[in-house]
Amino acid sequence: MASDSASSALADVSAADQNPNTIDNPSRYAVEDQLRSLALTEADDDEVDEPVPDKAPPSLQESTNEVANTDRLVIKENGLNRTVGTVAAERRESKAVAHSVEAGEEVGGAEVRESYLNEIAIVKAPPSIEESNIVLNDWRLAHDGNDPKKRSGIEVEGERGSHTVEHLKEAEKVVRAEAGECDSTLGDMQRMNSELEVDTLVSPSSSGYAGERGSSSIGSASEIDEIEEICEVRDDDLVDGIALSQAPWIPGKRHVDEDDASVSWRKRKKHFFILSHSGKPIYSRYGDVHKLAGFSATLQAIISFVENGGDRVKLVRAGKHQVVFLSKGPIYLVCISCTEEPYEALRGQLELIYGQMILILTKSVNRCFEKNPKFDMTPLLGGTDVVFSSLAHCFSWNPATFLHAYTSLPLAYPTRQAAGSVLQDVADSGVLFAILMCKHKVVSLVGAQKASLHPDDMLLLSNFVMSSESFRTSESFSPICVPRYNPMAFLYAYVHYLDAETYLMLLSTSSDAFYHLKECRIHIEAVLLKSNVLSEVQRSMFDGGMHVEDLPVDPSPQSGSVSPHLGQHSPETFRDTNAGIGGPSGLWHFIYRSIYLDQYVSSEFSTPINTPRQQKRLYRAYQKLYASMHDREIGPHKTQFRRDENYVLLCWVTEHFELYATFDPLADKALAIKTCNRVCQWVKDVENEIFLLGASPFSW
Amino acid sequence: MATIGHSNINAKLVLLGDMGAGKSSLVLRFVKGQFLEFQESTIGAAFFSQTLAVNDATVKFEIWDTAGQERYHSLAPMYYRGAAAAIIVYDMTNAGSFARAKKWVQELQKQGNPNMVMALAGNKVDLEEKRSVSAEEARSYAEENGLFFMETSAKTATNVNDIFYEIAKRLPRAQPPQNPAGMVLVDRPTEAARASTCCS
Ligand SMILES: Nc1nc2c(ncn2[C@@H]2O[C@H](COP(=O)(O)OP(=O)(O)O)[C@@H](O)[C@H]2O)c(=O)[nH]1
Ligand SMILES: [Mg+2]
Repeated sequence: MASDSASSALADVSAADQNPNTIDNPSRYAVEDQLRSLALTEADDDEVDEPVPDKAPPSLQESTNEVANTDRLVIKENGLNRTVGTVAAERRESKAVAHSVEAGEEVGGAEVRESYLNEIAIVKAPPSIEESNIVLNDWRLAHDGNDPKKRSGIEVEGERGSHTVEHLKEAEKVVRAEAGECDSTLGDMQRMNSELEVDTLVSPSSSGYAGERGSSSIGSASEIDEIEEICEVRDDDLVDGIALSQAPWIPGKRHVDEDDASVSWRKRKKHFFILSHSGKPIYSRYGDVHKLAGFSATLQAIISFVENGGDRVKLVRAGKHQVVFLSKGPIYLVCISCTEEPYEALRGQLELIYGQMILILTKSVNRCFEKNPKFDMTPLLGGTDVVFSSLAHCFSWNPATFLHAYTSLPLAYPTRQAAGSVLQDVADSGVLFAILMCKHKVVSLVGAQKASLHPDDMLLLSNFVMSSESFRTSESFSPICVPRYNPMAFLYAYVHYLDAETYLMLLSTSSDAFYHLKECRIHIEAVLLKSNVLSEVQRSMFDGGMHVEDLPVDPSPQSGSVSPHLGQHSPETFRDTNAGIGGPSGLWHFIYRSIYLDQYVSSEFSTPINTPRQQKRLYRAYQKLYASMHDREIGPHKTQFRRDENYVLLCWVTEHFELYATFDPLADKALAIKTCNRVCQWVKDVENEIFLLGASPFSW
Repeated sequence: MATIGHSNINAKLVLLGDMGAGKSSLVLRFVKGQFLEFQESTIGAAFFSQTLAVNDATVKFEIWDTAGQERYHSLAPMYYRGAAAAIIVYDMTNAGSFARAKKWVQELQKQGNPNMVMALAGNKVDLEEKRSVSAEEARSYAEENGLFFMETSAKTATNVNDIFYEIAKRLPRAQPPQNPAGMVLVDRPTEAARASTCCS
């Protein structure tokens, strides 16, 4: 306990930066934080529903004497990596080293990466499954440049270990033998990918695999590609429009990016496939799924080859491409990407794609494969391409996809209460879940007794509804499976748009519930209109949530003082004096994720990050940061401070929250840390507006 | 209940048929008078209501526009249970959709309300040059099976109001008004209704 509390007042421990510049009184916060964490851990569920007691949050400190309490601190600046920290246990130590090796690849080790990819992985089976990656990472560096024979660029990582190229040669033979008509080989796969890039460079609207695609008939997928690109352009305008109308806009600060086409190009850099155990294609993000049968068989052969060896393929690296595999009973999901997203992130995306499929079909689809292993699943997914392509698009703009949390629409507390209580009425009348959302933000959410909604399911539900135009046309009643609630059975969803962006989902276990749910909706709609909730929702969408420019200058209002409201710009905010350059201390953006609420809040994008491309890049950086903070057993508190030519990223993970903050690349470290503490305080001050409290999906 | 001179009838009507046959387009033409060249696939089923005055009655249709996708096939009973009328739609440029329309008819004959008014709609009649199901073939099939038949076009509005009007005329007049909160519709074969998975 003692070490817990001490480490909650976390410090930047850069050895080069030995400035004992204490911002707050650490002991005070340490004690308070200890109390707070005690209160939270011992609180029962009802108490958790209440707004957090007004206590000072743990604070991020810059000092050096906290090292011993930290598991591992990786400090990355200017491409140099240092692992600092006293690690007590031996076990821990080996992990920390493994991590730093990996970090080396990420930031400072470009050459290392190049060379290891050009050689063969010959790795003995590691001692245990969990450690296989660590061993691999060690190995890569250890053997870097030592192998004179650079025979292949393909490296397969299984859950139990790597597989040698000799083995893969056998796999190739298997592919040739088993795939029969299919002449695709691993080599072809690699070639296809490089061709793909060239192809998309020349003509961004064409998609699919060279030689595989041919002239697709109606090519629904290719139409979607077109639409997606149009969307990108429209998004661009839209975001700029928002920047124009909401954030202080200074012409000089807006970089007209000369590389606009690269957004669509980047999208083509990532492919998703679903295929069956027998190698039948089920879904492909690009191209006509039926024309990818050969390719699909190749993927299947790789998977089954590794499986025959008693392992499961996780990852194949081929040049700069990663091929990530996820196996779900009779169904395989594959991502081929050269986006340099971490393996964990790509795997998480495959999990979501699988979840989306389950949402549409339920897991009982597996039974079809029991009856007939060669079962063709594509007709079952008829008309849902748009759902998957919209989800794939989410992966580049919606942080919920990697944070595994949802975000709420900022609303005055009484307004949200009004929405919550009418939803509660209907939940009491037998509705399992009542969810009111505006775009991807939750207005309010109520589950019947004992029913909880996982944030990933909320993402999948809202994606399903928002991507299908059909729901906007009229009220709908559709079978829907909520994977984390019950993957085997359908629930019945009544969906109705209350205005262009706000929609209500009422979920019932009964297929006869339509008329009841319709009446519930009529009641809810009437109450929401009467209490002006709908107009408040629209106002909030227009105003946006937290703007970094509004970060209060005064660090922490004394307890008892009226907490500031989001909309009210106190005279002390930064916006007034330094408009247009982000927030104080070069703060550009932040995401705060509350762990026990399962919610996050993301600040509005401000001027330095105002194009979709920049935003996507920032999300990718957060995603990477998230993966690096979560890929191993984590200690109770961790920080990471990363500076590169684009920005300073500061991440702070405690058991209560995670903060990801972005600063100007030239930002002062001490000030950045101080600013992070203020952001946390600010979030706490306005938490009952930005978060849905008291109706947490996990409360009952 | 229903007086001869004037009666109010609530009638549940379901549209069944292949995805892409034009069910949603027919409904949107009837309810909103519009047609979209790129009508998006329906998810689950969409609900509409529209009132029609025929000589002696006011018929309020509660229309279920089903998706027609295979994954929902086992769930179809939840939409056609208790329906007073059904329109089975096929795309007259697509013989396969006619074959599947016949399957729907069979299923309704087995599982549906025995007094159900059934209409067969050969849609997209504006695409005459691409016709692959002849009107004669469809008409004789309809007659054999007790359906009435029309060729329609949601695009040009040909026969769209007419088919709904014809159904309204054929609805049994003595029908007791259904509860608008019509959860009465239950006592159909529950097996089918319970099959709450996509492909069992
Ligand atoms: N030419 C023509 N096209 C039609 C007609 N009705 C529907 N369509 C088109 O056929 C496609 C499928 O229609 P839709 O109403 O979604 O079919 P549903 O799946 O049965 O609901 C859409 O692109 C419509 O525009 C019609 O009468 N004539
Ligand atoms: Mg439709």
